[in-house]
Order: sequence, then structure tokens, then C-alpha cells
Amino acid sequence: MSHGAVAHHPSRGPREWSPEQLAKIQVILAKYPTKQGAIMPVLWLAQDDFGWLDLDVMRLVARTLSIPPSHVHAVASFYTMFKKVPTGRYVIDVCQTLSCNLVGAEGIIAHLERILEPDAYGNSKDGLFTLHKVECLASCGSGPMMQVNDHFYEFLTPESVDQIVSGLRSGNPLPTPRPEANEWQWAPRS
Amino acid sequence: MGPKILSANWDVPGSHTLEVARSRGVYSRVAPALAMKPADITQVVKDSGLRGRGGAGFPTGMKWSFVPSKEKRGDKPVYLLCNADESEPGTFKDRYCMWLDPHLLIEGMIIAAWALDCHTAYIYIRGEFRFIQARLDEAVAEAYKAGLLGKNILGSGFDFDLHVHLGAGAYICGEETALISSLEGEKGQPKLKPPFPAVEGAWKAPTVVNNVETLAAVPWILEHGAAAYKALGTEKAPGTKLFSVSGHVNKPGVYEIPMGMPMRQFLDEVCGGVRGGKKLKAIIPGGSSVPVMTAAEVDLCSMDYESINQNAGSYLGSGGFIVMDETTDMVAALTNLLRFYAHESCGQCTPCREGCGWMYQILCRVRDGYATPEDLGTLRDLADNIHSKTICFFGASAAMPVQSFLTKFRDEFLERVQRPAAAVTVMASAPIPSAGA
Amino acid sequence: MAKVKINDTEIEVPNGTNMIEAAKLAGEEIPHYCYHPHLSIAGNCRMCLVETTTPRGPVLEIACNMQARDGLAIRTDTAQVLHMRKSVMEFLLVNHPLDCPICDQSGECRLQDYYMEHGQYDSRGLDPKVGKNKRQDIGDLIVLDAERCVQCSRCERFGDEVTGTGELRLMNRGDHTEIGMFPGDRLSHNYQGNLADICPVGALTNKDFRFQRRVWYLKETASVCTGCATGCNIQVCHQEGEVFRYLPRRNDQVNKSWMCDMGRLSYQEIAGLKRILKASVDGKAVEPDVATGEIATRIRAAGAAGVGFVLGTRATNEANWALLQMVRANVPGARIFVVEGNDGGQAAQGDTLLLSGDRNPNTAGARLLARHDGNVGDRLALLAALPELKLLVVLEDDVLGRLGAALPPVVFFGAFKNATAQAAAIVVPTAHPVEQDGSYINRQDRVQRVRRAVNPVGESAPAYVVVDRLGARLGKAPGTQMVAAAFNGMARAVERMRGLEFKGLGAEGRLLAPEAVTAVPGAEAST
Repeated sequence: MSHGAVAHHPSRGPREWSPEQLAKIQVILAKYPTKQGAIMPVLWLAQDDFGWLDLDVMRLVARTLSIPPSHVHAVASFYTMFKKVPTGRYVIDVCQTLSCNLVGAEGIIAHLERILEPDAYGNSKDGLFTLHKVECLASCGSGPMMQVNDHFYEFLTPESVDQIVSGLRSGNPLPTPRPEANEWQWAPRS
Repeated sequence: MGPKILSANWDVPGSHTLEVARSRGVYSRVAPALAMKPADITQVVKDSGLRGRGGAGFPTGMKWSFVPSKEKRGDKPVYLLCNADESEPGTFKDRYCMWLDPHLLIEGMIIAAWALDCHTAYIYIRGEFRFIQARLDEAVAEAYKAGLLGKNILGSGFDFDLHVHLGAGAYICGEETALISSLEGEKGQPKLKPPFPAVEGAWKAPTVVNNVETLAAVPWILEHGAAAYKALGTEKAPGTKLFSVSGHVNKPGVYEIPMGMPMRQFLDEVCGGVRGGKKLKAIIPGGSSVPVMTAAEVDLCSMDYESINQNAGSYLGSGGFIVMDETTDMVAALTNLLRFYAHESCGQCTPCREGCGWMYQILCRVRDGYATPEDLGTLRDLADNIHSKTICFFGASAAMPVQSFLTKFRDEFLERVQRPAAAVTVMASAPIPSAGA
Repeated sequence: MAKVKINDTEIEVPNGTNMIEAAKLAGEEIPHYCYHPHLSIAGNCRMCLVETTTPRGPVLEIACNMQARDGLAIRTDTAQVLHMRKSVMEFLLVNHPLDCPICDQSGECRLQDYYMEHGQYDSRGLDPKVGKNKRQDIGDLIVLDAERCVQCSRCERFGDEVTGTGELRLMNRGDHTEIGMFPGDRLSHNYQGNLADICPVGALTNKDFRFQRRVWYLKETASVCTGCATGCNIQVCHQEGEVFRYLPRRNDQVNKSWMCDMGRLSYQEIAGLKRILKASVDGKAVEPDVATGEIATRIRAAGAAGVGFVLGTRATNEANWALLQMVRANVPGARIFVVEGNDGGQAAQGDTLLLSGDRNPNTAGARLLARHDGNVGDRLALLAALPELKLLVVLEDDVLGRLGAALPPVVFFGAFKNATAQAAAIVVPTAHPVEQDGSYINRQDRVQRVRRAVNPVGESAPAYVVVDRLGARLGKAPGTQMVAAAFNGMARAVERMRGLEFKGLGAEGRLLAPEAVTAVPGAEAST
């Protein structure tokens, strides 16, 4: 995912918090000695609720926390997981760092690119997916791996990738994988 | 393989719930600890020889003792930050600690907080671990409900609040001062030292940053005593350590072993040996930032700080054990790592900011056959000029792989730049890699 | 105090002195980009790495984050230090666009200067440079070129720590780190010009100065801004009689390293349309000598009781002193006034940083001399006296605007066509502060010097010369043609200036002696 120049998309209009969001923000603020300390959780909240962080959302966050909008912008640009551009419903972060690379990440990435045909921003033609090649996700012993939204899919093969992607496409996603006890260690690969 | 201190409960179904955790003895050390004098706890940890498991291996008890006394710090609070930003390539142990035994970590933090006179602590967890954050949040909520967190813990009069703070994708936030910056709502950029965090850390208050694995070891040490912990491992590196094993190996995964096991034995017996019966070429023993080791060096080393350093010039680091077999293209492997460092440099200090991207670009040319022997010299120079010339250790972390790969696998690099057909430096035909892509 | 050693020089400095400053005192210039004496320490450029000895042997550390303590020793001349300076230059330039031929920073660019001094290597950069946004219009005074930036964060810290507005931020990370504003936002404060000053390279340049002159043609003259009562210390940058810009000059007691945009741009008025170039009598241009003769005639005709004189809050101390002396010697019994306030009669806003609501450079000076004379009236006194006055002689100030009442015929000595000048019967042009030597007293009671950088325009001359000539016509010149003599005479006479000498005012000025608090009425006059 890019941390290059931030692309700016047209405004979706000025934003305001809902009463529910304001209540959540109050809970967040209570955890930090300064308002600025709450910037990351509030950005997460905004991203979850508004989909991505456009400039109006950043302004709203800045106003809420009494900090300059430029600071919110800088923080959002520093961290790769804050979305400065819209993405598909499923963001696929596929790991390309050494451990995954050693066990075949390149092939998985090539396969994903083949079946998703991403554009320059990583968005698939149907707009459902956004593919990012990312750095290490701490799943080195279970590579190749990818993260789809908040969840890890590990020990990937082209076949399992097909299954996951077609499951998401058909609206019947695979059960959320949970690395439960006994699964954490070595899992035999077919 | 010796006693399990950190992973004892990992195989127990439901180990992440308070009920199961309590049945396994988690939280049984809280009440005895709260009955002790804080300074005595620090002393036990000091005596145990526990060293920071995040990578630097700094003695934990000593770190705690740097926090100024109440008289010296006045009204300032003390913050305890648990570094759960686990992002060193090849390292994935803390993830399991938090996923499978979150209450052990919380217990360790309660005890550490009591020792440090700390009333507010944060677990800084990397943004990509949101599914783990959810579980930690549940565990924290359970602990609050059970009176193990919050006001007047177990009726002791000790108040302690614990919050989980989610990162958002930045390797550098695992560096303790960058973690503090990030928590404060800044970009995650390391801070100048001095002042050191123990004196002036988060929000200018004394702050201790400890790794997940470090804190999770504290309850056992308190229960069994410093001597029992010292009896494990080696003299200078007591106790057990979690190793994250990945790469060309039959049984990748996380293993808890006492420090000091011969590296070859660990590889062959614990990890099941090199995958597919291939020959070992190299190992990165402590996460991607430490110097690479050759197969020959593996035979000389055991799994502890001193042995790896003395016999192979490398470091135990975070225990991220990356195995590379004879088929590995070392030029491609190093290029892969430098893409990581170019992408993750925080952009503060000149040498690292400009140098990591530059080294990556040169390596791309080396990998693709558009480089000359002079480029290897430049690469070497750049690494030397970055190493320890920056605010934090990131610069060195990017430089050490370059230095060690170039030294220990020199022939592979030379071969790439000496193929006459490709040995041309044509800018137009060189790839244009983007660190951000 | 702490004894520190820089190379082989041992010096004593206050404990905690920044080692870059300590080295400067020892005559050793440590190169740096991010360090600035009036901003917090960032430590990111790594140019100031020096060698210091630790129990582990010699190590490189950044001088900007080292504070002087007894026994501290650093070396700036070892092979390691020199090598690292070269190396940091190489890193800084690898993604730099090298557009020096069209860059306005050329000639005062630290990349250029340090390359010549510490770099001097052949480029090894074969790979494509990282591209960033160029030519961004981010404020009325500032253009930003992010490619030229060295990410020192000085501008970011200026916005956070000095103006408190926090507009500029380094975004992204790694070699894509880029300085910028929140998209669509613009700088809106009155201190933008400082951003161009503190930017060590050509990333932030001053629109007003862009493409005007190559800096190596400019001469600098140390002076003081006369835009308000603060008296920020400045360098007047000029070439062949034309002033091209003001730059703030460091004075930790007054303006640190800053100045406001209003003051910075006030150089434009030197050769502006509002300057008075010629003397005139009743609307007809005449030689200044003729005008002076006519003034003398009219003063005599009005008689001491019918003529009033107004000291200038915009005039130099020397001009005010000349007028005071001239009147007391030649027109005894004539009334003298000081009318405080701003020209045009409008109240002005100050701020908490530098700009004063009092837009006159020398209100304190005029007040001091009025106090000294003991018989100078204020605004109300002048209003009361107006019916009796047949002639009012005014020095620089827009008395008409400040008073808001009709005046008798006016004689105006001044540089600018304000309302009073426009209504005056006789006008004699005086020099702009950059066209003369002299002194002002700022709102801290600091006596500061202006220095002649360029020649007076048209027929203008320093006001103390003009007043001296009038005195000669009336019989007795106060002898203020020579500015140093005028000042020193004044300093001998005025109690709170005692001990000051014109040549001794130095680069940073001198404070007046504190006011005597328990003065017995009348005691002042007897001394």
C-alpha cells in the first residue's frame, strides 16, 4: 500500500458525528491524558464508519481533537492502514516480505493479480476487492499469507486463494479463520 | 525441552478465557505480588536476569530501576507500555502470547505496574492485529469485571487501568520511543535520547516499555523465584525464550526452549530440519535486522545472546529464526529485505531516509543484472554510513543485513555484477522501483 | 559555568549551552540544517555529528543535542566527522533536484555552501530521483517546492512553536517524506516570511523576492525595522541604491530571529509612491533651502506664542533632540507637543508575538525627550492650544489624523505624504530610516541604531539635518548635523541615557536606565 503522495478524491461533503459516535469518542478520550492522544483510535472509528478518510473526515477529526488539520493529515499519511483513498469492500493485504517470499509468496501474488486484475490503485474490476502488496504481517511461520480486512488467511495455495476469493464474490465468505490452539504450530501442508 | 513458562497454556482449549486461565494458575501471583514491596519485585526481576525479549536484550529489572523515585518525579505519573507492535520480519511469537494466553500478559502487567508505581498502562498492538485486539479487549473487560483491573485491585488499595491502543501499520512503532510518539498521537517517529523514556517518556512522564514476552515471563519468575529462572538457560541469558521459526524448514512455528540450546539441534530436532532434505545455506537468527549467518556459523552457535554474537557476529534479537536452504537466491533475499526497510524508514534522519531507498534501488539493479562492481562498493559505503548515524536503531537494522550479506555471500553478488552482458549501467533500462508500491 | 573543549580550544560557557553555540564561541562552525537557536531540537539532519569520547571509545554524536557540562570535549576535525559530513551531503543530494540555476536560494543555500565546504565528491546517484510537488502557492508570501526540501522540519516547528498555527507538516515516510499543507489550506498569519528565512534550502521561498536579484549581488546593512514600536532588528539588503528586502537579524532580547510580514514588506515604501521627493511652499515645488527660509520667516511672523512644534514618534531621537534644542534656543516660549497614536487616527491591532499596536518606532524616544524637557504638552494640551496657534511645525507624524481636528497652517518635515503632509502649507522631505543613521527607542526602552544603507531619495535629508538648517536660519543651529555628536550630546543631557554612546550601541542596542521610581517632584529639573 502506498505511502507516496496522497491522492485526493472529490469531497463527499462535510461530516458530522452521530450521537453514537460522539459517545464512543468520549470513551476514547477518557483513556488518554491529552486529546491528541486519541487521534489514532478516532481515525480508526472514522474509517470504520465512513469507509475511508477523505479530507472532510480529517477536518472533522481535527476539530474534534482541537489539533491542526495538517497534523491529522500527516498522521493519516504516515500509517499505511489508514485509507486515504476509497477501497473495495474487501481489502486483500498479501505479504511479500522475506519469510513469505521464501515459501512462495510471489506465486500467490501473481495468482491474485491474475484473478483480480487490479488497476494502479489495486482495485479489482468489479470494485469488490483492493489488492495491496504489504510488508510483514507477523505470520511468517504460516506463509504464504494474506489479510482480508481484519482476518488472516494462511498457508495459502492458488487453490485456497481461489476458494477464498470466490467465496467472497458469491457473498458466502469462508468462515472467519481463527488460529485456535493446536493450530498455531506447524500445520501440515498438502 | 524444559519447563514451559510462556506457552504452558497454549494447548488448553479456551485458554484465552478468564475461567480457563484461572484454572491454570494465571492471576494466582497477583495477590502475593501486591503484598510485596514494589522495590522487592524489581529486585527479584533483576536477580532473575530476565532480559528484554523485544530484540535488544536489555536487562528488564535494570530498566525498571531507572524510573525516578516519587520524590524526584513529583506529580508525574509513571506509564507502563506493553510493546505488542510485533513487526520484525520473521517474528510472530507475541501474536500467540496474546491470542492464546492474554490473561498471562495482563497478570504480568499488573505485577510490573505495582513494582513501578504505575496506575495507567497501554498495550500498543499493531494495526494488523485487530482480530487479536478484539480478544485482548475481551480479556481486559473480563479482568475489570473480576476486580483484577480498575480501582482497588483485589482489595489491595492499588488502582490500575489498562488500555489497548491499536497501531495502524508502521514497523518503526516497535521502536520504543517511536511507540511513545505514536501513542501520544504523533507520527510514529523515534525521539532523541537523552532524555531516556524511563525519565521522560510518554507525555513527558517516566515510562517503561516492555515487550509482550518479557511481561508474560514476570508472573512465573515471581512465583518460582529468581533462582529457578536462573537455573534455566545460560548464565548470561537465563530463562526460556520463544523462537519464531519460518522459511525453508519442515516445522515452522513458535517454540519455547531454554536459552543455550545448540542451534543445529534446535534446527534439526525442534524444527524438523531443512525442508525437502535440502542443504542449509543461511539462517537469520533474530529477525530480519540482524546479520545473516552461514551454515558453517550455525554449527558454532547456541541459542543465546552471547554465543550468537561471539561466534557469528550476529544477534539473538527477537528470536525470529529465518531458515534459507541451498536454493535461496541471496541477492533476491537481500533485495526483498531492503524493500521492507525502504518502505518502513520513518523518514526522519537523513542517512536512513535517503539511504534505505537508495540501497534498495541499487539492489534491484544488482538483482536484475544492471549493476557494476562499483555499485557493490557504493552499497557497502551506504550501509556503513547509515549504521549508527541515526536517532534510532532502524538505520543499523537496515545496514546490518546489507553488510553481512555482502560479506558472507560475496560471490553471489559478484557473479551478478560480473556477467558481462548485463553489466551495464543504463538508467533508462533500470527498473524504477517505488518504495511505496 | 562549564569548561568545555572544542578540538584544542578550551572555553567556559554557561552550563547547558548548546554545543553548536559553544563551538561558535570557540570559533568553530559546526554545519547543521535542522538546528535553529530559537526552535526545539529535532536532531534529524545528522550534519552536526561530532566526535566525543566515552568509556567505549570515541563515538559520533549530534552536537545539537549535547549540552555543555564541565569536562565535555568534542572534536569536529577527525576523519570520521569529516567523512560523515560528506556522507550526509551525499544522502541529502541524492534526491535533490539540483535546479540551482533557477532557484532563488542559490547563493545562500546550505546545500551549496556545505557541498563546497564538506562535500566535494563525484555523484554516485545513478537511480531515478523521488519526485515531489513543486511550485505550490501556500500563502501570500510563500511558494513551496517540496523536491528541494531536506526534511529538516524547521518550518513545521516554527508553525508549532512560534506562531502556534501548525500548518506545515512532513507527510508520508521514508524517502517519500514530503513537506506540505493540509490540501487546500493556506498560510494566513503575519509571520510567513520567516519560513523562507529559516528554510536552509530553496523549498520555501519568498514570493516577494523570487526572481528579483541574485543574493550575491546584495549588500547588507544592519538596521532596525520601523514598522512598529517593537523595533525588530533587520538586515537591509540592497544593491546600487535600491533596497530589495528586509531580513530579520538575530537579537535574542528583541525579536529572536523573526519579524512580521508587515514590517518585512515595509521596505516597499522606501521607493514608493507615498514618498515626498521635493520641498514645496503653498503647493509650489521649491528648493529645500528656499522652503527653510520661508519657514523661518513664518515662524518669526507667528511669534513664540503663536507657533507650536510637534516632536515625532516616527522621528529619530536625534531629530527630536535637534527640534527640542532648536526651539528652546531660537523660539523661547514656543509650545512643544507630542501627539501619540497611529497615523490616520485608526487604532491598530498588535499580537502577542512581535507586532505592537503602536505603529510608531519611537514613541518611547519622543516620550523620553518630552519628560526630559519637562514642558512638553500632550494631545489634549495641543487641542486646547489650537485656537491660539498660527503655525504648527510637525516632525514626521500625521498629527492631523491623530488629532482629528482642524489645524492652523502646518509646516511638515517628513518622508511620507500622510494626511498632515497633504494639508501642509510648507513641506520639506526627510530621509527614510534606511537612508540615514540615527537611533530609536523601542517599547522595551531599548535604544537601537539604524544605519544608512542607501542614499536619501530626491531632495530629502535626515530630519536632524533639516532641523539644524532651520536653526541656522533662525539664528542658532543646534549643531546636530553630525549624528554621533547629536546623540552623544543628548545622552549627556538626558538622565536615563547617561553613559550611552552612539558608537557603543552595538548590534543589539542598549537599554535605557530604569526610570527613577521615587522621584521627588522638581528634583529632576534641578539635576
